[in-house]
Formats: sequence, C-alpha cells, structure tokens
Amino acid sequence: MAVVALFLSGSLLGRQEPAGQKPAEAKPSEAKPEAAAGPATYVGSDTCQACHEDIHKAFQKNPHLAVETDKKRGWDGKACESCHGPGSKHAESTEAADIVNPAKQAPAEADRNCLKCHLNQPTHAGRLRGGHGKNQVSCAGCHAVHKGSEALVARKADAVNRQCAACHTAEWAEFQRPHKHPLPQGAMSCVDCHNPHGSFLPRSIRTVSANEPGCFKCHGDKRGPFTFEHAPVRLEGCNACHQPHGSANPHMLARQEVRFVCLECHANIANPATAQTGILGGVPPAFHDLRSARFRNCTLCHIKVHGSYVDRSLLR
Amino acid sequence: MRLLLLLLLAAPLTAQQTPAPKPQEPAEAKPAAEEQKQEAAEASAPAPAADENISGYVDVGYRWVSGPAGNFDSYRSIVNLGEGPKLLNLDWSFQDPKKRLFDRLDVRANNWGGDPYNTARIDARKNRLYNFSFDYRNIALFNFLPSYANLLSEPGLPLGAVRPLFLNQRSFDTTRRLMDVQLDLLPGTWLVPYLAYSRNSGEGRGITDFVSGSNEYPVATRLSDKTDHFRGGVRLEMRRFHVTAEQGGTTFKDDQSAFHSGTQFGNRATPLLGQTLSLTNLSEAWRIRGDSIYSKVIVTANPIDRLDLYGQFLYSQPTTDTNYSLAGTGNFALLSALRFYSGQQDLGFAEAKQPHTSGSVGAELRITRRLRVTESWMTDRFHNASSVLLTERLLSAATPEQTNRVFASPLLELNYSQQEVNLLFDVTSRITLRGGHRYVWGDARVPASELAGGGLEQGELKRHVGLAGVNYRSGQRLSANLDYEASSGDRSYFRTSLQDYHKARARARYQLMDSLSLNGSFSILDNQNPAPVLDYEFRSRDASLGLFWTPKGGKRFTLLGEYGRSTIRSSLDYRLPTALNVIENSAYRDNAHTANALGDINLSSIAGRPVKLSLGGNFFVSSGSRPTRYYQPVGRLSVPLGKHVQWNSEWRWYGFSEPFYLYEGFRTHQFITGIRLGI
Repeated sequence: MAVVALFLSGSLLGRQEPAGQKPAEAKPSEAKPEAAAGPATYVGSDTCQACHEDIHKAFQKNPHLAVETDKKRGWDGKACESCHGPGSKHAESTEAADIVNPAKQAPAEADRNCLKCHLNQPTHAGRLRGGHGKNQVSCAGCHAVHKGSEALVARKADAVNRQCAACHTAEWAEFQRPHKHPLPQGAMSCVDCHNPHGSFLPRSIRTVSANEPGCFKCHGDKRGPFTFEHAPVRLEGCNACHQPHGSANPHMLARQEVRFVCLECHANIANPATAQTGILGGVPPAFHDLRSARFRNCTLCHIKVHGSYVDRSLLR
Repeated sequence: MRLLLLLLLAAPLTAQQTPAPKPQEPAEAKPAAEEQKQEAAEASAPAPAADENISGYVDVGYRWVSGPAGNFDSYRSIVNLGEGPKLLNLDWSFQDPKKRLFDRLDVRANNWGGDPYNTARIDARKNRLYNFSFDYRNIALFNFLPSYANLLSEPGLPLGAVRPLFLNQRSFDTTRRLMDVQLDLLPGTWLVPYLAYSRNSGEGRGITDFVSGSNEYPVATRLSDKTDHFRGGVRLEMRRFHVTAEQGGTTFKDDQSAFHSGTQFGNRATPLLGQTLSLTNLSEAWRIRGDSIYSKVIVTANPIDRLDLYGQFLYSQPTTDTNYSLAGTGNFALLSALRFYSGQQDLGFAEAKQPHTSGSVGAELRITRRLRVTESWMTDRFHNASSVLLTERLLSAATPEQTNRVFASPLLELNYSQQEVNLLFDVTSRITLRGGHRYVWGDARVPASELAGGGLEQGELKRHVGLAGVNYRSGQRLSANLDYEASSGDRSYFRTSLQDYHKARARARYQLMDSLSLNGSFSILDNQNPAPVLDYEFRSRDASLGLFWTPKGGKRFTLLGEYGRSTIRSSLDYRLPTALNVIENSAYRDNAHTANALGDINLSSIAGRPVKLSLGGNFFVSSGSRPTRYYQPVGRLSVPLGKHVQWNSEWRWYGFSEPFYLYEGFRTHQFITGIRLGI
C-alpha cells in the first residue's frame, strides 16, 4: 500500500519524465532544458565525429558499436545521441551545456542511460541489494563506455583486481596477509566471488547451483549436505569463521588461533538467561579444560568441523 | 591443453587485417593519474607487430630461489614458488575481419612451469551467433605450519600433558583443478539459449587425527573429490522485461581415507588408569556420493518508465549417501564404560537431503526526478533431513566382544527473511541522501548438544536496522561516500551474531591535481551482546590511505602507495567446564599495519621506449594475540631490446616471522629474468 501511495503521490509531484526508451521520446537536453529556445534534434554520429574524432576512433573497437550499426535497436547512425541526447544545439554552439553529459549527472540519472538497454539482463537481478547501487557508484565508475572492450568490461584477473582495489583499498590490504586467496598472484579475481552488480546474498557474493554461496564452487567437499551439520556454517555462512580475503591464520580463520574462533560460541555458557535470549549453543558441548594446551587447537580432534557424515561430535 | 595448443596454432591462420584493440584501457571514472600510468605502461610495452590482426605478448623467464632459510614447510605454505623455466604470461588476441569462425579470439595463460597457480582462458565470439569461454585453473594447496598442532607440553598439567610433536596434524598437500565452459548462442538477440559445464576436482594427501577414547593419533590421509555441474537455460530479453530460466544439476563424489601402520602413542603422554594408549593399525574410509538438481528463474521488468521490478526464484536439492568403514587395532579406551579394548570395527551408512528454496522480489520507484524509493524482500529456507546407522564392534582378548548400534536422524531447519526499504533523494546533482530500514527475521532448529540431552534447540532472529547514507561527488575530481547502519537487536542466533551494533564506512577519492590522486577509507563495526552471562563485545576498525602520483604525466617517475591499519578487539566471558562456577574472560587483540608501494623510474630510453626501474614492496606487521611479520620488498628492471622484445628482471625477498613461533619463520631471495615478446 505504501508503495502504491508513494507511486500515486509521485505521479502528482513528478516534474520531469525519465529518459525515454526511443529517440522520439527523448527530451532535448535534460541537463539545461531552459537554455534551449526550441527542441534539439538528432544530427547523427557523423556530425559528432567531426569534432570528437578520438572518441569516434576508440568507439570502433567498442561492443557498443552495435548500437550504431544495428537497425533493430532504433539508434542506427545515432549511437552517440542514444546516451547524450539530441545534439543539434551542441553541434551549433559547441557549448558543453547544450548536450547531456552523463559524467556530470547524478549517478542514478546517468545510470538510466545504461539501464535503458541493460536493465533487463540477468546480471542486474540483484541490483537493489548490491552495495554499488545503494552507494551511487554509477556504471561508468567501472565501465569505460567509449573505449575498447577490455576497458568496457575488464576480464583479465589482474585488471579486475586493480580496478576494484582502486576504491576498496582496505580490502586489498587484507590480501597482503600471509594466507589468502591467490588474487595477488592473478589466479583469481574479485569477480570470481562477488557480483559487482549485486546478488541474492550479502556482500554481493555470487551463488552457485542456484542458491548456494559461491564458496562451494571451488570448495565442493565442504558442501554436504552432511548428516551432522555444524549449524553456523549454514546459518551464518563461511565468513562466520573465515576471513576470505586474507588472514595470519593458515586456514584463513577470522582469529589467528583456532581456539579463539571456537570459544566465541562454545563458551560453556549454560545459564537460564541464555535460554531466554534464544541463543543457540548455550549448553556446554564438552567438559574440556580450556586452559590445557591439548584443547587449544579444537580442529585437531574435531576434524570434520564443517560437518560430519557419521559423527555427532564432528570427530570423524 | 592439446585443444589450447591447437587453437593457438590455428587462430593466426584465420586472422586478417583490422586494427587490434589496446590490451587494456582504464575505466573513464578512474583518476586521470591512474589512466596516465596505464598509458605509460602500454607505451613501455613492446610494440605490436605490423600485422595488427594479432596482438599481445608472451613472457617467458627463469626463476632462481635461494634457500629458503628457515622453515621450508612454512615457505611452501605461504609462497611455494619454485625454480626453473616458466611461461609467466601469455596474452594473445586475434581478430578475423572476414568473420569466419569467429570475430575475435582471446587466449590467455599465466604461471605455467611448476608454479602453484596455473591458469588458462580462451574467449571466442562471433557477433549474434555465439559467445564461448573456457577457463581452466590448476591450484596447488599446501599447508603445513608446525604451530597447528599439539606441540606444547606444559608442565604441571595432569590431564592435558601432550607430547611435543612439532608435527602439523592438520596439514595437506593437494591440487585443485577447476574448469568452466560456457556457450551462449545468439547473443545480443532477444532469445539467448546457453549451456555450461563446470568441473571442480581435488586430490592429494595430508595428515589428520584419528580420535579414539581419550587420545588422538596423527595418521596419513588421502583425499579425492570431484563435482560436476551441468546447466542450461534460456534468456528472454525484451524491451520491457527479461526472463532467465535455468535448469541444472550436479554430481558429487568424495573419497577420503585415513591409514596407519606401526605402533604410536598419540598426543597423550600420560597413562590412563595405568594403561598406555596406542594405535597399531588403522584403515578408515569415507565413500560419499551425491547429486543435486537446481532451478533458477530470474525476472526483471520495466513495465512503466518510473518503475523497475526484480524477482528471483531459486531452488536446489542436494543429497548425499555415505558409506563409512573403520578397522583399527591398538590399545584403546571406552571412557563411558571404563573399558579397554584392542580392536575396533565400524560400519556406517548415512544419507542426507537438503531442499533449499530462496526467493526475492524488489522494486525501484522513481517518484520524481530526484526522489526514488526501493523496496526489496527476500527469503531463504531450507531443512536438512538426514539419518545415519553406525555399527561399532569393540574387540578384546580379555572381555567379550561389544557391539553398539547407533541410529540418529538429526534435523536442521532455517527460515530466514529480510525486508528493506530505502528512500534516495538527489539534493543536487552532486549530493544524494539515503535513508532506510531493514527488518530481518527468522527461526532455526538445530541439533542440541549431547550434554543437553540431544533433541533440538530452537533459535530466533529478529532485528530492526536503521540505514543511512550520503554520497557527494564533484565532477570526477572528488567523490565521497558515507554508509551507516545501526540496530539494537532483539534476537540473534549466536552470541557473536550482530546484536546491538553500529557499522559505518566512509570512502573518498580526491584528484588533488592532475598528477596526484588520493583515496581513503574508514570503517568501524561495534557489536555487543550485553545479555546476562554472554557479555560479548566486539570492535573492528579499518583505515586505509592511498596515493597515486605521476609528476609530468609519469614521464620520469610514478609512485603508487597504500597504507592500511586494522584493529580487532573481542572480549567475552566463558565458564571453565571443569569448574562451572568460575567465569573467565577471553580477550583477543589484533593490530595490523599493511603497506604496499611501488615507484617506477624511467632511466633512459632505447628505441623510443623507456628503461624502467621499479622499487617497492609489501609489508604486513601485526601485534596482539599472535604477532606476525611478512615482508616482500621488490625491485624490477625492464630494458627494451628492440621493437618487439623487452628484457625483464625481478628480485623479490620474502621474509616471514612470528615472534611466538620463531621456528616457523623463513627468508628467501628470488630472482627471475626473462623476455617479453610482443606480437
């Protein structure tokens, strides 16, 4: 109901239509409509090329060239204006204010240009849940629209990692730790685990086999289903215990020694109060003397810590 | 690999004259300085050959490794690079202007010749006919750090005394191979069928523990697993909506074994009730077979210009069947019966099935040009129904044979849902404000501890989260972003789960001048669960700062530097099981500094291309509960030898040390030299 009400109120408040889907629907210049005495018209990419030769040349190697040549898309011969809007006024005045410049638009507005064609594609299904969309990281932040295909979509692992690390410096710093996934070596890239457009799972983690966390694509032996599951693996995911970007622990645990990880849940906290809070694992799992060195490396005995097929205590 | 070689040889034959794309170009929104560096790097690379239908390069070289001094197993666990000739990089692109078999073919290979990470990739495409990709990775995983063992024999501990074995009892030496093949037909049209196949297999050996009675024995283990994924589907891409429907399946097999021959006494150093426990022979095996079917339907729609809709339905049902066997001899103890026995034979059969259903729907409504509202809802539900029958025979010469049969059918259930609404308002074209609310709720039933009498435990999740964000940008020179969320949680599954928390993250990038760009980020997470007895506190902070400096367009010098600092503080109370009235505190601290820097100096030029010297490296230093230091200084020299040839050399030093575990440290110099041939 709230959505419907907002929609109705929005219709009343709406002042400007979003960018149209067809050339005929496009507004002359959404950046500064008042600057135009009459509506601008489409002049074709050849006119743009006359001044922007460098962009035109680079564009020949870009997959978006299909917009220019494919008649079915409705923009043949007008690829530049499919994003920048009608260019007749700009062609006459050569003023930047007379043409739409997506780089100067609000990200959401600029992205509408891209999403006119790219919205209805499977990679964008998780867009609303992705951090980039929420934080106004526009499409052009990662995709160089005018240049060659590798700049449009980085595909080499080291190029992808370099691009992500340019903003995610703290995350890249984690990969300088001794034990990490092999991204610095170029054997993996950020997009092997994350879908930058957003995903069904938190942190834009990719899925595999429809709805399983992407971790199981490589770590299939941890998938199960096990007869005796270790509940946090299923309820909170791998990063309840692991630091997938990098760690000082040889098994990439979130704490540098095993006992610190296990103890945080298995703390022998049996108490009526825990029953009231609904906390799982509130009953002591065992009577280990946690001060003893023998019990400090829990996974030495509980070797099937991800889940066991035959043993309730995850010992075998 | 034969296919790869064949394609490499065949592709140039089909290539004809058209301009080749540059190997890499930066995204438009990257700082200008970064773009300049990229261009400078391209300028310093060997020039492509006259035939521009083929472009790329190949790097070959030879690596020498000194030592390593210190612990070789630690070196293998962390670095694992070896000596010998290497194919370091290969990157070729072929374009066929006549567009016969393909329009474009890209072939890449990295780190072949005994290195732990080998990759190969082939992409081929023909406009509106097909997109094909093949990806292969071969990753060696080695892990043997002595500290990962019961190595400390502490005096004065009556029960916990252990042998100083200095043997990692959780080590492995395995190889994992991953292959992905995907074929999209009719890309760019409204109907795109696709097929894909993936294989993930692992094989190797290691050391694990066999646990019996009141002792554990390190034994050899062998591991072998394989998962095959098959999937196919169709994408329907229309102007106002899109539907992807996919059906897939997996087959899974996992064979594990543990074995030992010869008498050993395990980690326990003291007799139990006057007897010394031992293991003489062991043969233990798991044979697991599994499969899954899964379905995926994704819908996006744009029914009217102001409204975007998103929906997903995902379903999978993995199953496993397990056969387990164990035969062991030695002197074992059954503490529950205070009985000793000399042989054990176990047989087990288990099966598990886990139907898993997920779905999400969402909408973005643009109320006005400046005001948007997004609403999303998702749910994730599964239950794991399983059963096991384990028959255990305990054999002894002195007492009658004892047979125990254990049947169990544990259950695990999870229902998770989340709803989120955000309101976004573009105050100006430079500032966007965001505010929202997330409600997370769910329930879970999991097997309870044996000490709690078995059965099921019930957990509940309920959390209201406030969301806020600010985004500011000024052209391409400055962008800043603040993201904040907080909750005073109601119910959570575990004591470490998010409860009363606030989380903030700020990021900024600033192009101070054309030659200098700065970026920084800061994040904090404070989480508390103040419930009686739990008393859990957690705080992590991350801060990082990076700069990129290219004076005079990087003609003489460029510098890339990053520094990061992170801290973790965790404090919680726990009860000593041996004296349940005693509550102790566990405090964990980790303070880490990370830095990496690389400066490039153009010394002179040969044939119009620069002779480049690069100096820098990475370091990681942490203090706290387990201090660690890891240094990697590096120096590189690139000398052009001709139009298409460049000589590259690199020296790198690896130094790893842990003050608490000095015997795990290692140091090594590595020198690699080779040539890059431009094509």
